[in-house]
Amino acid sequence: MADAAPQITEDEFRRLADFLYRRTGMVFTEAKRYYVERRILDRIVATSSQSFAAYFAYLRSGLRDEVEHLINAFTVNETYFYREDHQLACLSADLLKERVATKKPGDAIRIWSIPCSTGEEPYSIAIWLLENWKDVDAYDIEIVGSDIDTRVLDAAMEGVFGKRALMRLSSELIGRYFHELDDERWQILDDLRQSVRFSRVNLIETKETRAQGRFDVIFCRNVLIYFDDESRRIAAENLYDSLLPGGFICLGHTESMSRISPLFEVCRYSGAIVYRRPQELRA
Amino acid sequence: MPLIRKPSSPVESPAPDGRAISELLATGSDDERWNAARSAPMHPDAVPLLAAALSRERVERVREAIFTALAKIGSSESAAVTLPYIRSDDAAQRTAALDALRAMPAAAAEHLPQLLEDADADVRLLACEIARAMPGDDASLLLANLIAREGNPNVCAAAIEVLTETGNVASLPSLAHCAARFPDDPFLAFAIKVAGDRIGSR
Repeated sequence: MADAAPQITEDEFRRLADFLYRRTGMVFTEAKRYYVERRILDRIVATSSQSFAAYFAYLRSGLRDEVEHLINAFTVNETYFYREDHQLACLSADLLKERVATKKPGDAIRIWSIPCSTGEEPYSIAIWLLENWKDVDAYDIEIVGSDIDTRVLDAAMEGVFGKRALMRLSSELIGRYFHELDDERWQILDDLRQSVRFSRVNLIETKETRAQGRFDVIFCRNVLIYFDDESRRIAAENLYDSLLPGGFICLGHTESMSRISPLFEVCRYSGAIVYRRPQELRA
Repeated sequence: MPLIRKPSSPVESPAPDGRAISELLATGSDDERWNAARSAPMHPDAVPLLAAALSRERVERVREAIFTALAKIGSSESAAVTLPYIRSDDAAQRTAALDALRAMPAAAAEHLPQLLEDADADVRLLACEIARAMPGDDASLLLANLIAREGNPNVCAAAIEVLTETGNVASLPSLAHCAARFPDDPFLAFAIKVAGDRIGSR
């Protein structure tokens, strides 16, 4: 169907890439043209636009949440439970131990997963802590999952997953935290589903990140790589603002905050390298 | 099973209060100056306010926020405010300024021809790094012209490293000419060979 849609010229591609950059901070160069074009052509067809110009005008008019539909088409959402479990082990063995040193039982511990995609990471954090952290009942743990893509947030709230997403969970864990639906799909138990709050957040929008409050630990994996230098700096500062002093941030294993911003301290643990917002302000 | 047993009331990270950005940048606490710098790009007089703040600011994270604000503005003026700091004796300041300039490549590019002719070799060397963020053909032309006349082998090496990444076949004669000008420098010979091979294979 997309084949019948109009082609996109170089100038149109550039205008659209500029528009996406301003809205999301994501950079789409000529090298990603095929990836971009396919999705744009799909949206042109889906909105019954007669040309790129007509679609672009529709997009800019803000009608019917088209910007959101377009952003949703560009986000990458494939993930699974207990991905990077060495970071989860570091969370329960090291990071939370440091965070609770200045808290008392009953205090809040806030953990943020951004981008959270369809919920595998924030639910993994919840399951991991219930299974592996001895103090899990002593504190009020709030887990927040955020993403720019509203479509994946809807899926995250529904909490239904296929076999592939659960491939790293034992049958015991699946039996304990999920109930089987049909056709090899499982849904997170209601109690656990209600333990995670989901919200729509664009990481480079300071107002949106501020509205989430401050966290003890942030998981922000494999998103900064999509940003250019300017957006990456803004995102790093938003993440800094979103951490409590002494709070930690975990990035993807190919990412390094030291290459993005000097705001954070590097912390090396046996299972992971993470970054910390300094306790004391440095002069 | 629920991990939360009582509703939480997240404490929002502090946002700037109603005071003028200029006042906060000048007399606020560290947090207030940090927030004011981050909000400054929306202010019509942001560039001179940030320039004044940068000249007196001593707290690294606030300086970082000022540089980010200048990068976000991304104008020729904001690049001009940033440029003097690549001459700083303080390595952290030089790096911070360079990172900020790389985050506003279009604005920084306007100043690049002058920087590549600066009397200070360290500035010319750092300017090569700014070129890395520019569109490939523009950067290649400037850097090819630089290595055709540059007398400092370290500056040549920096330019060649960027050309290895961004160069095109039009850069090859300048690379060969540079190799001929430094016949006794084995590192440059090696770097030029690598650059030539990479450009040739593209």
